[in-house]
Amino acid sequence: MGQATVGVLLVVIWALLEGVAQVFLKKSVLEAVRRYLWISLGVVILVIEKLIYSQALLFLDVGAAYAISSLNLISVTFMSRYLLREKVTRMRWLGVCLIFIGAGLVAVRT
Amino acid sequence: MSPPNWAAEKGILLMLFKTHRMIGIYGMSIRKNFPTRLAVGLLIAILIDTVLQLVWKVAVLSLPSDGSPWLNVQAILHRPLFIFVVLLMPCQFFNWLMVLGKADLSFAQPITSLSYVSVFCLSVFYLNEAADLVQIAGIIFVLAGVWFISQTDHVTPPKESEA
Repeated sequence: MGQATVGVLLVVIWALLEGVAQVFLKKSVLEAVRRYLWISLGVVILVIEKLIYSQALLFLDVGAAYAISSLNLISVTFMSRYLLREKVTRMRWLGVCLIFIGAGLVAVRT
Repeated sequence: MSPPNWAAEKGILLMLFKTHRMIGIYGMSIRKNFPTRLAVGLLIAILIDTVLQLVWKVAVLSLPSDGSPWLNVQAILHRPLFIFVVLLMPCQFFNWLMVLGKADLSFAQPITSLSYVSVFCLSVFYLNEAADLVQIAGIIFVLAGVWFISQTDHVTPPKESEA
């Protein structure tokens, strides 16, 4: 496996973990009972994902990593829809896809 | 080192305010049922994200290119800016929890992508970085995307979220 492939894989894992962490943080404001458990889990995952991202930067150019990391928008929206049961309309998906493309274009030249 | 150009910074802030107003955050705050606190929270999230990214950029640019990674880390740790960033992080976290308490995650998270626009504008005007057509096209895509999202309801009605 090439260095770039490892880097891309790490950024994809980072994007997925970002989705999970954000779902946990959202859960913390939805459920009063296990509020601190969700916050703690969210923070732990945020720390882990930061470590993974810094490892990814060893294998990838910053601009490329930044561009791929906009994948987190897709993962967060997907998890919001299926884990939090949020109403994600076609207009919201269209907005997310446009931002994903735009963020990629801006970041790739960073 | 030249003295800070406050007039230029005021101009940039005014431009950012106008941009955010144009794409809808200010507009959303005066829309019926859209909490002002949420609009302010989103604006604060974007501003803090912008500051963190710019400070990171400035810190990286100011590092000696021939230093080892460990020397670079030490150089960053001894900068007053680093302490400022460390203080901003909890503010960002608690503000984000407040935002999540008032809006869908799938609404709030993409809106904060406006920091791509803020960072880009400030990098061009403040750090004198070059802007090319691809980046400008990207900024237009981001603004269009945020506009589409701002047209959706900021929170899922309870019935649908339970279904």
